[in-house]
Amino acid sequence: MTTNTVSDRNMTIIDHIGRWLNWKRFLLLATLWMFIVSIVFPFYWMVASSFKTRAEIGARETVYVPATLDFSAYRELLDPEHPSFQDFGRNFRNSIIISLPTAMVTVALATLGAYAISRLKFKGKNVMLNSILVIYLFPGVLLIIPLFAMFARIGDTLGFDIQDNLFVLMLTYLAQTLPVGLYMLTNYFRTIPTEIEQAGLIDGCSRMQVIWRITLPLAIPALISVSIYTFMIAWNEFLYAFVFLNNNNLFTLPIAVNTINNDPSPRPNVVMAASTIMTVPVMLLFLGMERFLAEGLAAGGVKG
Amino acid sequence: MTAVSSTTPRTNKRTFAEKWRSLDAREARLAWGLILPTLIIVFGIVIFPAFFSIWISFHDVNLSNLNDVFSAEFVGLDNYRAVMDDFNFAPGSQPSGWVDANLFGKIGLLFTKWNWGAAITTIVYSFAATILTMLLGLTAALILNQPLRGRGLIRTIFLFPYIAPIVGVSFVWQWILDPRPSGVFNDILWARLGLIDAPQAYLATRGLSLLLVIVLNGWRYFPFAMLMLLARLQAIDKTMYEAAEVDGANTWQQFWNITLPEVRYVLGAIFLLRLMWTFNKFDDIFLLTGGGFGTKVLPVLTYQFSFGQRDFGKGAATAMILLVTLVIFLALYVGIVMRRVEDD
Repeated sequence: MTTNTVSDRNMTIIDHIGRWLNWKRFLLLATLWMFIVSIVFPFYWMVASSFKTRAEIGARETVYVPATLDFSAYRELLDPEHPSFQDFGRNFRNSIIISLPTAMVTVALATLGAYAISRLKFKGKNVMLNSILVIYLFPGVLLIIPLFAMFARIGDTLGFDIQDNLFVLMLTYLAQTLPVGLYMLTNYFRTIPTEIEQAGLIDGCSRMQVIWRITLPLAIPALISVSIYTFMIAWNEFLYAFVFLNNNNLFTLPIAVNTINNDPSPRPNVVMAASTIMTVPVMLLFLGMERFLAEGLAAGGVKG
Repeated sequence: MTAVSSTTPRTNKRTFAEKWRSLDAREARLAWGLILPTLIIVFGIVIFPAFFSIWISFHDVNLSNLNDVFSAEFVGLDNYRAVMDDFNFAPGSQPSGWVDANLFGKIGLLFTKWNWGAAITTIVYSFAATILTMLLGLTAALILNQPLRGRGLIRTIFLFPYIAPIVGVSFVWQWILDPRPSGVFNDILWARLGLIDAPQAYLATRGLSLLLVIVLNGWRYFPFAMLMLLARLQAIDKTMYEAAEVDGANTWQQFWNITLPEVRYVLGAIFLLRLMWTFNKFDDIFLLTGGGFGTKVLPVLTYQFSFGQRDFGKGAATAMILLVTLVIFLALYVGIVMRRVEDD
């Protein structure tokens, strides 16, 4: 002990660092910081660029920190007074209009279906249990052509236009969200012990009462997590909206941001402002609900 | 016991009405009632379209007969032939100067000049991106498995690329890789460090752009691998490391002999899932490069045939080729790799 304190007193600051920082620790910290910088910088760059003036965006020198918080990019997106105003609030509304019902319908249908498949006894149960994984894994790119052709045919018969129709788009989103919801909820219901439900049945509850009073309250964390994931799938969805929407008034956020990005006179500050507006709600939702969500990620909440 | 044996003969002779009212039958009816809405929708928008897609790939479906698609003309394998012959699908011919080039020159030409075609590009892209995702995910999981201050915060930050909308993320990378001298990469690599002779158009250079979409795929999807691996790492019995420490095993030996065998199955599962999803990924590449400069993969080609050229038959044929290729790889993987793992 005493020799140790003596040597400690005689050590220079370099010795201290040297003792603390062996090569393993150095490797660990260096890798950690490479990860952190490569992840945080793009998000910083998105937000920082959205506050740059046109001069800063077009400058020959790279501007890493904007001199002032310039809101002109946001004003162009949101302020009707701006000369080149693009009604981005309308796109935000469209995204909400389509994502919320998608999430709600998915959770409602998937809860009923998943409960029956994982809990009740009936013929065909095993076939369905196995096919859930198959339809969960089935890629969305392969469905876009038949869905488009199918809805075109139906629309032609019933006399409605399938393009620029948010309801049709929402239906196609169910093709992507329903398998995810079924997959996650079936796995979840199988983790709730059957004894709890059987106790309810013995006490004289009907099956529906058991579901409503016992199982669903137990499943609330899973239901929240599935609704947020399906909301995020619909919110971020690009390909289907890109194919089904042509009218600027009905564009969802991803298509609106893509349109701004493909503008003949590119203005990265506006693209970054639009990206920020689209990204921030998703990140806040995730951060606020991370407790429910982190497990769901590994359990297949985000597909692809 | 006696109660059971006395009821058994009676159930065999139950009338239809008794069966209809029995507990099992009521449960089955309830099950079907609960499933039916979901079943109808899943059948209508997933299962039927999946088979319809096969049908379309054998028929001449384009914009003019889309409203009467079921009477489209049967064309056999014509769509498949058209895809195979398309210059976007098959590998192009040798680039000029190939014959005279030495080995290094040939490798250079292979990566910078030769048009691989969408089929080969898809395979290279998917495998490279999947392996990179796994390596990054494993590294990140190993970091997070260490006792670090602020580990929860670091984990949250590590999840950002996977959570953020692909549209915003792709465009910010496009802007970081801007070809002008003021682009961040050009500023650092050219103006500040002088590592490159001239500003580069990173996403518009054959070879470089494929490398970058692979790296960005790894950047975006490693958190998925990380989460799955982290859960497994935390379940490993710590006493195994203590025992290895006592036996004098160094960090590398501990990793190779304890950690890796423990996470092997998870790595296999991640490989399967990521390969499958990367194979079918449309948005990442479409938003970053639009499928240009040697990054055209089959999902992008599917989109271009069906919604650019409005030839849905050709698009569906491309999608089928994509699906069949994927199934072959998965079958090979399960048949060869998984069987060998079981034999061990």
